[in-house]
Amino acid sequence: MIHVDITESELDPLAALDHCSSDAHGAADLFVGRVRNINDGRSVTAVSYDLHPQLCRSIFGEICHEALEQWGKDLHVYLVHRQGRLQVGEASVISAVSSGHRDDSFKACRFLVEQMKVRAPIWKQEHYTDGDSEWIKGHALRSSD
Amino acid sequence: MNRSINVRLFGAFRQGNPESSLTVEIPEQGRVADLRRAMDAALESENARSLLKASAFATDSAVLDDRDPVPEQEVSILPPVCGG
Repeated sequence: MIHVDITESELDPLAALDHCSSDAHGAADLFVGRVRNINDGRSVTAVSYDLHPQLCRSIFGEICHEALEQWGKDLHVYLVHRQGRLQVGEASVISAVSSGHRDDSFKACRFLVEQMKVRAPIWKQEHYTDGDSEWIKGHALRSSD
Repeated sequence: MNRSINVRLFGAFRQGNPESSLTVEIPEQGRVADLRRAMDAALESENARSLLKASAFATDSAVLDDRDPVPEQEVSILPPVCGG
């Protein structure tokens, strides 16, 4: 069972755990990515997330299906990302997985996060205490020259 | 004969482009590589042209290869990604 989304609203970890719940599942893993106040030695006040909503949902779906292929069709998986400007401490992404046993949910939850970071069309612009802003360098999606 | 392609801008490409899109001309049967050349000519800043080299083009459902035909009137340009 898969749930993916993009939202401008505050993320809800309890909604993720509610989705990742089954009487047959003895394990549930939850990852919350949050905006931190420092990056590369610069003091950060906020991060603006830009993304391609349609393609992002499509890629999230692909990643989740791959997790089910690898760790079991009965997994419940949840992947939701914020867009817009977030202050330090706000959650930018939630990944959650439930499974029969803990090993599968640990691994699948990490898989969702790591794949999202290198495949999903999401970009972040950091805002610093000195008033400057900078787009963060990322992982190229280009496959050929 | 050429056709117009609207290219939606994301991430660092939005810097200095408040319209969030750019229209360029490519050959009627043009491929993504043609679109890349047209974008290179259309982008004004050296930083944007440098970013173009590391960027991919995509429809709303798939990332395109440079050898692919440009399938629609509108595509997106995706600079390197960094979610989370």
